[in-house]
Amino acid sequence: MTVDDWSAGATIGGRPVPGQPDLERMRRERTARLQVQLEAEGLDGLVLLGSSANAYASGALAPGEDSGRAGLFRSVTVVVRGAPAPHLFTPFSDGAPPELPADHLHGPLFPDLEDGIAEFASALGDLFGGGARLGVDEQTHPMLRSLGRYEWTDAAAVVAPAKIAKTVDEVACIRHAQHISELAMLEAQAVLRPGVRQSELSGAFLRRVFELGATSGAIDPIWQVMAPTKDAGPWTIHGDIAYPAATTDRFLREGDVIWVDAGINYNGYASDYGRTWITSNHPRPTPRQAAQFDRWRAVNGAVLELLKPGVTAIELTRAAIAANDGVKPWIEHFYLSHAIGTDSAELPLIGTDLGDEFDERQVMAPGMVLVLEPVIWEEGAAGYRSEDIVVVTDDGWLALSGDRYDPFTVAA
Amino acid sequence: MNRDETSRTGMMALEEGSRVDFTRLRHDRRRRLARGMEAAGLDALVLGRGPNVRYAAGARQLWRAGTSPFAPMCVMVAETGKVHLLSVWDEGVPPEIGHDELYGLFWNPANLLEALRGIPGLAEAERVGTDGFTPLFGRLQPAIAPKAEVVDASPLLSEARATKTADEVACITVAATLAEAALCALEHALAPGVTERQLLGVFYECVCRLGSPAPASESVAFATPAHGPVRFRHLVSDRPVGEGELVALAPSALYAGYEGGLARTRVAGSSAPKGTAALAGRCRTALDALVAACRPGAAGADLYAAWESTGEPAPTVLLANGIGIGTEPPVIGFGRGRTATLVEGQVLSVQAWAAHEGTGGFLEREVVLVGAEGPQVLTRGERFPL
Repeated sequence: MTVDDWSAGATIGGRPVPGQPDLERMRRERTARLQVQLEAEGLDGLVLLGSSANAYASGALAPGEDSGRAGLFRSVTVVVRGAPAPHLFTPFSDGAPPELPADHLHGPLFPDLEDGIAEFASALGDLFGGGARLGVDEQTHPMLRSLGRYEWTDAAAVVAPAKIAKTVDEVACIRHAQHISELAMLEAQAVLRPGVRQSELSGAFLRRVFELGATSGAIDPIWQVMAPTKDAGPWTIHGDIAYPAATTDRFLREGDVIWVDAGINYNGYASDYGRTWITSNHPRPTPRQAAQFDRWRAVNGAVLELLKPGVTAIELTRAAIAANDGVKPWIEHFYLSHAIGTDSAELPLIGTDLGDEFDERQVMAPGMVLVLEPVIWEEGAAGYRSEDIVVVTDDGWLALSGDRYDPFTVAA
Repeated sequence: MNRDETSRTGMMALEEGSRVDFTRLRHDRRRRLARGMEAAGLDALVLGRGPNVRYAAGARQLWRAGTSPFAPMCVMVAETGKVHLLSVWDEGVPPEIGHDELYGLFWNPANLLEALRGIPGLAEAERVGTDGFTPLFGRLQPAIAPKAEVVDASPLLSEARATKTADEVACITVAATLAEAALCALEHALAPGVTERQLLGVFYECVCRLGSPAPASESVAFATPAHGPVRFRHLVSDRPVGEGELVALAPSALYAGYEGGLARTRVAGSSAPKGTAALAGRCRTALDALVAACRPGAAGADLYAAWESTGEPAPTVLLANGIGIGTEPPVIGFGRGRTATLVEGQVLSVQAWAAHEGTGGFLEREVVLVGAEGPQVLTRGERFPL
């Protein structure tokens, strides 16, 4: 699949964003960032069990799997301070990066099993002395019982700062993941008509993303039918909109407004496709729906107008609220914006329950990714929600998502 | 089970009711957990792993691939018998979990803490079982249950989940049926020139059309070369499958969270590589030996012994693992699980992999119920003609 020169010379830290990622360079730079943070935190290493932390620290690929399977047949990445490459213990040796030295690629470990923990302890014993300070993302009970010789601390202190501003290759990966998703959504949208089931849309989308080069699926695609009022939708603990609810074999009917949300994984990086569709053979937004879309555009426009290095998150939330006549244009349990990377939602998170003080401290910097997902809601007429993805560049921002909003059209 | 159990292998409800009695299914699961908690002296269970949360709560929640670090997604309190669930809304939540038993999604740990402190009986708990731990949870725990000793709940969860009720076996069988449909779709699409990633797309389209989009695993197809080293692979490649290559087709599916899957090996095109019949025979002999060993009271070591008795080289891949709500212990393979004991009513995914340089690789996999009378194979798929 070819991609045009979409980045048009945009730079992050003085480096141009490439059309396609250099995967080996990307992994090398991530390793270097983790090493810098290990130094800064005074840790001797990292022991990572979760899927996304593994994807980041080792660059290894893994098939999409149900959480039960993924939590038993794990990859484990061990990063040793001062070492040039991570150690990867994996049942998926075919997913290991090609440049990983052979003596750093190992068979699987089973930290979840009592009869796997001795081997796990032995593998760590080869890499760290007793008393080592190690960052960890999850501790199984066998680990708690058997690995008391180390001092354990939260790996997030190392991983989160490394991840928050993306390298140019990470940005290119996200853009490619998004491009695959957007092309595949054309297939799903072509299937949308009264009588189709939600799960059939998933089939059209997922088939196409793999044909186009997706590494793995990330989430069961969402095609939620939005009831016209909050009360007509599912009950919620906060009284706000219930979203996103899981897909079923529900039939879609004429006029159903559906909020689409789906994401896949490309070389470890998430995409995030969010759009509002209308179910019909001839979908045409009503004037009221068109006005919702215009307002959504205005909110995003107000945010993007401000977005550049140095702007704080609180300035962005205030602009979004002002553009929506003083009403907070996002869902109570979510945010105005989140980032994507090897996680489908990661820092910076803007507009969460972490509060205004937290947002005041979040300062936009080159390489930060924003998935802007404001929600325009009108009781009685449902609402409009889409997601636009941008990355903060040296002098502004660069779009990572496309500009099609069918069946809504951008006013001339 | 005298009645034809396959009468339950449909997805939709019938006029007279659902094929599987999900109310009874959830009730039985929760009763097992309550018994396990009592036996282990637990005042509360705090669960973070997807399958354990689903087992306890029975809620239909958004499926995400992969595994995330432990967080308190579900809390079961012994004193009240109530199950509390992290869910902002009631859609997909079974009726026995009331609105008061739902707590929200928070980004701020202080807000999560407050929600958990509102769960009746948790703050007074003296013994709390969890299925995971993180440094963050270690910091929060004294504020959630200040008096509590935190212990490993995995043994009681494994024990509760291991033995399947008839309703659970029905769900696994439906999942197996979906996988069988996907196997047929994959066979139909298999031809020289097709790529593995196209086959993965065919798999997804099939299980989605049947109404169950989430896969147990995306490792559904890999070709093996007729020349050079043969590897068991997991990730789909872009390389067109060549004429006469052996291709392992291994679809699995989920129904109401329950997993079922099978594997067969087919030839792409019309000319099987030299030695195919012998390789297929080795694979079948090994699989049959493993399946025959799946009896109540057998140990993992008996499966290793069954494998070795066929004369196959030491296994390089998994021999068997438990299935139920997704994949579960025991793990028999990679040297693990020799002391695991099989119990009546347990369901296993059992597989055999045989490889020969110059021919390729051969994979077969079945779902096996460990029955009182012996192993019962729940999956159906045409086996390679010998």
